[in-house]
Amino acid sequence: MRGNPVYKREMTISSRSIRLPMIMLIFNSILALAAFLNMYSVTTRVEVTAEISYSSFLQLYVFLTLIEFFMLFFIMPALTAGSISGEREKQTLNLMLSTQMTPAQIVLGKLLSSMFHMALLVVSSFPVIFLVFVYGGIRLRDLAVLLLLYISVALLCASFGLCFSAFCRRSTAATAMSYGFLVFLLLGTYAVNVFVRSIMQMGRADYANQVGLMTSQADSGVFFYLLLLNPALTFYRVVGEQVGNLDLFVQIIEESGNHPSGPLIGAWVPVSIGLQILLAAGFLLAAVRALTPSSGRTKRKKKYLS
Amino acid sequence: MLRIENLKKTFGKYHALDGLTMEVKQGALYGFVGPNGAGKTTTIKILTGLLAADEGKVWIDGEDAFGDARRVKEKIGYVPDSFGVYDNLKVREYMEFFASCYGLEGLMARKRCSCLLEQVGLEERTDFYVDGLSRGMKQRLCLARALIHDPILLILDEPSSGLDPKTRREFKELLTELNEQGKTILISSHILSELNQMCTDIGIIDQGRMILSGNMKEIMARVDQSNPLMIHVHRNMDKAMAILRSHGCVRTISIKDNCLSVGFTGDAQDEVLLLQRLIDAEVLIRGFYRQQGSLESLFMQITDHKDKEVLLYEGKPSI
Ligand SMILES: Nc1ncnc2c1ncn2[C@@H]1O[C@H](COP(=O)(O)OP(=O)(O)OP(=O)(O)O)[C@@H](O)[C@H]1O
Ligand SMILES: [Mg+2]
Repeated sequence: MRGNPVYKREMTISSRSIRLPMIMLIFNSILALAAFLNMYSVTTRVEVTAEISYSSFLQLYVFLTLIEFFMLFFIMPALTAGSISGEREKQTLNLMLSTQMTPAQIVLGKLLSSMFHMALLVVSSFPVIFLVFVYGGIRLRDLAVLLLLYISVALLCASFGLCFSAFCRRSTAATAMSYGFLVFLLLGTYAVNVFVRSIMQMGRADYANQVGLMTSQADSGVFFYLLLLNPALTFYRVVGEQVGNLDLFVQIIEESGNHPSGPLIGAWVPVSIGLQILLAAGFLLAAVRALTPSSGRTKRKKKYLS
Repeated sequence: MLRIENLKKTFGKYHALDGLTMEVKQGALYGFVGPNGAGKTTTIKILTGLLAADEGKVWIDGEDAFGDARRVKEKIGYVPDSFGVYDNLKVREYMEFFASCYGLEGLMARKRCSCLLEQVGLEERTDFYVDGLSRGMKQRLCLARALIHDPILLILDEPSSGLDPKTRREFKELLTELNEQGKTILISSHILSELNQMCTDIGIIDQGRMILSGNMKEIMARVDQSNPLMIHVHRNMDKAMAILRSHGCVRTISIKDNCLSVGFTGDAQDEVLLLQRLIDAEVLIRGFYRQQGSLESLFMQITDHKDKEVLLYEGKPSI
């Protein structure tokens, strides 16, 4: 890490730009405001009813971690989507590629600097998040799992941002594609499941009518596994379990026609995190490939010939 | 030093490079010229490893350029046709960043940067932001950047575009100086008069093919031969015509106001002898010179496709 020139340069440049301090200011202000409002409402209620409602502290936990999750989810692509295409626009990418630096080093340097920014954001928010320890109910292990999820989500978002950035000529196109993909992860994976299941359901209903059977439950088949890539669902699974409320998770799983008791559902979090990391690795490899000069035409031709 | 053989590159259906072959000798200052879209930048990008060729071979300093990228890139310094600069980065940091791209760090890198910045005359600007430099300064900074790892081959893609004549001259001197220090330089340019004075060798490329290449002096001699010999005759035009008609090197003659324009294929020695013969025959001559040959006219001559067609239709040029 010390030796990566791109990482070092990014650090120098970002230390001079107002962007990161602004992001940190807004990020932490929102978290602090949310925490303050929650605490304030709890304490005013104590004054009136002399009763401390512990459930509202759990709500605080859910609320804070949720805000943080979505902020990370939306900030990371913004940090990376312009990073390689921006260099292409400024004509510095070719300069770097003409040196002894490899495309992999360039991608890694960009990834490291965006992950560093993510670490700054997350660590700076710890004091607010740790408020929940004052009242108990949440264990250190829970926070560790949450942190792991944050890291994997940030890694995934940074990776597809970098990948689109490496493929697109323009930063605006890369940003648009990144957010398009983000929306797909967030809503598309769910929508596909609902859609496929309703189609299957219709098919089954027709069949059942013809042969005079009872309508059986349809499911969305392999599309169900797309849900594993939905970071928001995994986040809900983690936090919901920690606070003992998984209603929404169960509902979404049922809507895809699966029963929320299978072995996959039990191992949802590790499998999902593992898949996200794998997907991130795929995106990073694709980014490296995009930066490596190749004459795809001849390679294909040669394959045909031989 | 640099040898390119049968290099081909197509973009879609368009043949940007169509069997380019060229050679740059050790220690040469090679002028790489061609009209817009001839394939100069494409060639240079292939040399610097930014584009992959479809076909062909390239050797740089005896090494296969499509082989070990690290070893090849160590030998090449590249100044692209646009200078890429970062906002929010100072001149020194910019240099040190590219030094670290070649694995140069610490004191060594800092010394090398200072040394190069001094060489290009930017030693007083080390704490300026790169963005705020003038065009000429940026160009010199780019040259210094390309030299950071002490390459043996320096490749410049149209480095003079957008510079004023004075800055261009300074830049040219800088390149000549580097060449004298033993660096082989390949420079692509449109400004032919500049290459004229500076380059030792030249290659003219058009539509992805090398159409003329060789030593600058030899080529200039050929340029001379292709230009008419102008003879201003004061008296005795008839005798002059007789001598010229019988001369073996004379191809064409045209007259305009006592001034003969002679297509003459002989070299300098033949010119001297011709003048002597005319004087001996008591032809009074007011002027005798080759029309100024320039690389430009040669360039126009061989890259202007329309002209060739017209000539074909006209048949033999008339006297
Ligand atoms: N990435 C690309 N995609 C498609 N065509 C390209 C690409 N790069 C270059 N070309 C085409 O290849 C041809 C050669 O381009 P090149 O840039 O090498 O010319 P050049 O000699 O450098 O011209 P100039 O003097 O204008 O810089 C041009 O006709 C150009 O349109
Ligand atoms: Mg060009």
